[in-house]
Amino acid sequence: MNTHKEEQRLYEGMYIFDTSLSEEGKHKLLDKVTSSIVDKRGKIHKIFDQGRKKLAYEINKKRDGYYVLLFFSVSAHMIDKLWKEYRLNENILRFITLQVEKVPEAIEFQSLEEG
Amino acid sequence: MEPSFNQKKRRSCPFKAAGIKEINYKDLALLTQFITERGKILPRRITGVSALYQRDLVKAIKRARHMSLLPFVSKI
Repeated sequence: MNTHKEEQRLYEGMYIFDTSLSEEGKHKLLDKVTSSIVDKRGKIHKIFDQGRKKLAYEINKKRDGYYVLLFFSVSAHMIDKLWKEYRLNENILRFITLQVEKVPEAIEFQSLEEG
Repeated sequence: MEPSFNQKKRRSCPFKAAGIKEINYKDLALLTQFITERGKILPRRITGVSALYQRDLVKAIKRARHMSLLPFVSKI
């Protein structure tokens, strides 16, 4: 049972940070997110900073956000704890964590050719 | 003359044709091809996507909406 609990899984997390944060505040928040994963004996594999983007709809009266994509591995029962932290953090507008198979080298997609 | 209902030519699935295996919620260029200008998901009756890929596509679009990458509704 214990060994099962400790099994690390690979996840992808996307976060939208508040743009009212300064450049420094943004780095601090990212540090907080990554260090909370590391504290839970997780590992960060890759960070993609996707920069400031316009939101498709307003969230908390905000029209844009910083998008950050994270690939990390952590044991499955820690995910609940991470979510709790994210929900309490007012500077994270939205987040999503998904299980993935592997860490991509770059974010690019095959185009759909009309056949 | 219009072909009758059961003679209509079936479009083959665009995902099968292009050989795409996974549909990712970050792939906005792809996802926007399957929503209307109002932001609704197009039915596969119109797009010809196979049931297997439509399920993945719907999931991807809903994830993208959650992350505010795509709108739930957009005004024209």
